[in-house]
Amino acid sequence: MDIIGARSLTVGYGRTEVLRDLSFAIPEGRITVVLGVSGSGKSTLLKTLAGLLPPLGGAFDFAGAPVDYGSEASLRRLYDRIGVLYQGGALLNGLSLFENVALPVRMHYPDLPEDIVRDMVQAGLAQVEMAEAAAKYPAELSGGMRKRGALARALVLDPAVVFCDEPSSGLDPITSSLLDDLLLRLKTTFGMTLVVVTHELRSIERIADEVLVIDGGGLRFSGGADRLAASDDAFVRTFFLKRDSHDDA
Amino acid sequence: MFGDEVYHLGVYLRKRRGVYPGETWNQMFFMGYRSYPIVCLLLFLVGVTISITSAEQLRMFGAEVYIADLVGYAMLRELVPLMTGVILAGKVGAAITAELASMTVLEEVDALRTMGLVPEKFLMVPRLLAITLVVPLLVAMADVAGILGGIVVARVTFGMLPSAFLGQMVNSVDWTDFAWGLVKTVVFGWAIVVGSGFKGLTVGRSAEEVGRATTESVVLSITMIIIIDCIFAFVLY
Repeated sequence: MDIIGARSLTVGYGRTEVLRDLSFAIPEGRITVVLGVSGSGKSTLLKTLAGLLPPLGGAFDFAGAPVDYGSEASLRRLYDRIGVLYQGGALLNGLSLFENVALPVRMHYPDLPEDIVRDMVQAGLAQVEMAEAAAKYPAELSGGMRKRGALARALVLDPAVVFCDEPSSGLDPITSSLLDDLLLRLKTTFGMTLVVVTHELRSIERIADEVLVIDGGGLRFSGGADRLAASDDAFVRTFFLKRDSHDDA
Repeated sequence: MFGDEVYHLGVYLRKRRGVYPGETWNQMFFMGYRSYPIVCLLLFLVGVTISITSAEQLRMFGAEVYIADLVGYAMLRELVPLMTGVILAGKVGAAITAELASMTVLEEVDALRTMGLVPEKFLMVPRLLAITLVVPLLVAMADVAGILGGIVVARVTFGMLPSAFLGQMVNSVDWTDFAWGLVKTVVFGWAIVVGSGFKGLTVGRSAEEVGRATTESVVLSITMIIIIDCIFAFVLY
């Protein structure tokens, strides 16, 4: 079953169209990777799907219901069911990691007893192996730890879909690989749906079930990761051939 | 945006939800405790300056005793609200814009939104509450500091005793002068917080825009303060 379905979706800023006429589906319980070169519009697409940037044309459904940017209730329903891992983590600097993860819980369930909030936060931090860093502030954490902490915050209310914007950016290969393991574990253990924006080919090979390739303002490929190598699209072939030549070197 | 913030504040006061617990106290500490020394120092110096500049003129007419009336009236009605507003614009307004603009650039504001929070409420309501609660204390302290400046000059220049100064002053000013000064400063404070918050939350996506927005917010705040002061002058006099 598809949790997100886009129909002729056009996204961009102001009057500038970044991606035009995209139609695709994101299946439930799988990892869909949005792939493209820097500046191709991957993050713009993610912002639109996450309810932050109104589409310039077309529409998309979330969990079977159309998302209406003009309706606060519709956006609220969307926000209630998603978690977002931002490129830099986007943890609030004035709060400890514990308080950052507790924030969505406290705001959505203000009457929840403190011990339950504490248990939820500890469970969320344990999920990303960050329980020992709960008292630290974002400035005291490394880039990888900040991202794992931000992932814990995105997961704490058990969302239906987690959007990850360039989770590997700025991380060394080992930390990046650990983060990939974490994303895979979320899928296999909890059946979570993840939409991951990246241009890291190593990550794509490890985690992708489905791939959307965007370039030149449009969708160049949409389908299973196993079918990517057989694509006859010139951009897709060049993208992977370049990787192959780099690997050979 | 002003109307939106009034709405968010009203909803918060009714439901007490959507704002981080304790944030209002943090903001009060920053706006009040961190601001009162500079506000008091500058207003004391303004009191001294206005007394010195007017003392010579008053002496020419043999009206030295009216220095107390002049300082009291000018301080309570005009100079304390205006100067406190300008100091808050430079200190509090710039800090609000820089903080919110940084949060916008670092996607923290987007993160709040996708958590289902309303950033315009979550970030702005504590600041509005804080400025509303802190301004009366700042104004009271600034009034005392400014009048003290006048007392010092009157004592040194004319040998006027502080008790005589205060006795003369209370004949010409009353509690409505203090109250109007207070009302004006609260309105200035709201204009500063809303204008600075607006600048911070509508910044672009690059770091250099944070600096530009901060500068613009100070100019905007001071401009709004002077326009509002002008409107008050038409209404009150």
